[in-house]
Amino acid sequence: MLNYIWSGLIIFSLVFALAVDTQELVENRFRNDSALPVAVEFPEGYAPDARRQPVTIQIDTSTYKQFFGVDDTPQSSYSGTLLQTQDGRQLQFSPEATLPEPLTTIQSFHASDENEALRGTLQSVPSIAAGTSQITTAVQFEPVHFRKLNAIAEAALNFAETAASLALGLIGILGLMLGLVKIGEEAGLVHALAEFVRPLLSPLFPNVPEGHPALANITLNLLANVFGLGNAATPLGIKAMEDLQELNPDDETASDDMVMLLALNTSSVQLVPPSLLVAIMGLQINQLIFSITLATLFSSIAGILGAYTLSRMPWFRVSAPHRNENTDPSAGNAFPPTHDS
Amino acid sequence: MLEAIRSTVSILSYFVLPSLLVGFPLYGLIKGVPVYEVFVDGAKEGFDVAVTIIPYLIAILFAIGMFRASGAMDFLVNALDPVLSLIGVPAEVVPMGIVRPLTGSGSAGIVADMINQYGEDSLVVKMAATMFGSTETTFYVIAVYFGAVNIRDTRHAVPAGLFADFVGFLASVYVVQLLFG
Repeated sequence: MLNYIWSGLIIFSLVFALAVDTQELVENRFRNDSALPVAVEFPEGYAPDARRQPVTIQIDTSTYKQFFGVDDTPQSSYSGTLLQTQDGRQLQFSPEATLPEPLTTIQSFHASDENEALRGTLQSVPSIAAGTSQITTAVQFEPVHFRKLNAIAEAALNFAETAASLALGLIGILGLMLGLVKIGEEAGLVHALAEFVRPLLSPLFPNVPEGHPALANITLNLLANVFGLGNAATPLGIKAMEDLQELNPDDETASDDMVMLLALNTSSVQLVPPSLLVAIMGLQINQLIFSITLATLFSSIAGILGAYTLSRMPWFRVSAPHRNENTDPSAGNAFPPTHDS
Repeated sequence: MLEAIRSTVSILSYFVLPSLLVGFPLYGLIKGVPVYEVFVDGAKEGFDVAVTIIPYLIAILFAIGMFRASGAMDFLVNALDPVLSLIGVPAEVVPMGIVRPLTGSGSAGIVADMINQYGEDSLVVKMAATMFGSTETTFYVIAVYFGAVNIRDTRHAVPAGLFADFVGFLASVYVVQLLFG
């Protein structure tokens, strides 16, 4: 199941990315081959020899909307820099500028660690006289294509790195929690409470005879879950399963009691949160323990009702290993069987 | 009434971690356990657990990361939102609901990813964390427990477990909304 969901996520990401990229190319959403008309103002007058000089960039609102075919509007003016090299003139928007779409996307697509600013080549203007205060021209941004394809590759690398550093960052709190919980385990916290809880559980496991060790192990297993003692819970649960298997007339088919134990295990009430969650959430766990305890109360009730109701369904009833014993009314079973003919 | 519950919870919540931090050692001390040595012994496992979950975290986080980066996550959230809002479930928690019964470490990765995305204080993160804390990895438990005793026909174990998970999923959403919403 997980195999399908996992590969589904990856394959669907690729398909979705390709679909978005193709649509953007077909629409030519970023006007890859055309230049956006702008007016460039030189507050200090144009300096022909300066490598960089401050400028103010003005984009006409209606021209912009028409050019990109969008509803977003640019601000009345942006501060920027004009770079002059032998290759030509490059216009750079201030990295702090709040740009309209799709300029934001173009900016983030070409942003690098050294240069986050949106930049484009100024269309060749024959020659500008020194001291000119304003020119009207057009700016050609670098083309944007296969944006999403690039993004998913980048995300995969970033997240793989995050995963490892995240896990290593959890070592400290995990150690703290596992140390505490180990003390509870050694001190016999689970055994101390077992006496009180066992009678409550007994009606849920009708096929376990009174005094049989199975119920003791079931109780210990579930209590270990309640106190977040995951390491202790699994061996106890397997022990309880082995006891139930001894009582099970059919070696390969799960008995109702076994399913009940599983349902209680997957939904058990939690009083101590899982160590991994404490490590991830930090102090937030203080509040979350209340919602967790409440939610587990509901899911435990659902688990009990679900396991019980489903075991009464004709479909599952016929395969029940204990069905022959249950049909004997003199057995005095707590739950009268339903007859399926 | 609701206000009273919320303020009680917010006051009581200050005592949760301190009582765990003091409660376990104190109880151990009373029971005559060499608490310091046992603590150190248990804490050693912190490193192992962290290292063990790395491959699972990588597997889930990179797949979720790609899914998010492709824009498919937003698409899914937008598509599911109108339906799910009828029952008051935010679409952002759906990935958690799907992954939780399948992998424990993987769903821890999803909580971590959601913290990055929506912030630690957001309701959806609280919901996802509550889901993480409130159900076990159903399919793993079934595989381990039934595998240990060679049960082949699991009968109603999967539907019963998934039903409990589903109720736990809904309960997490509503309880978080009630307590912190």
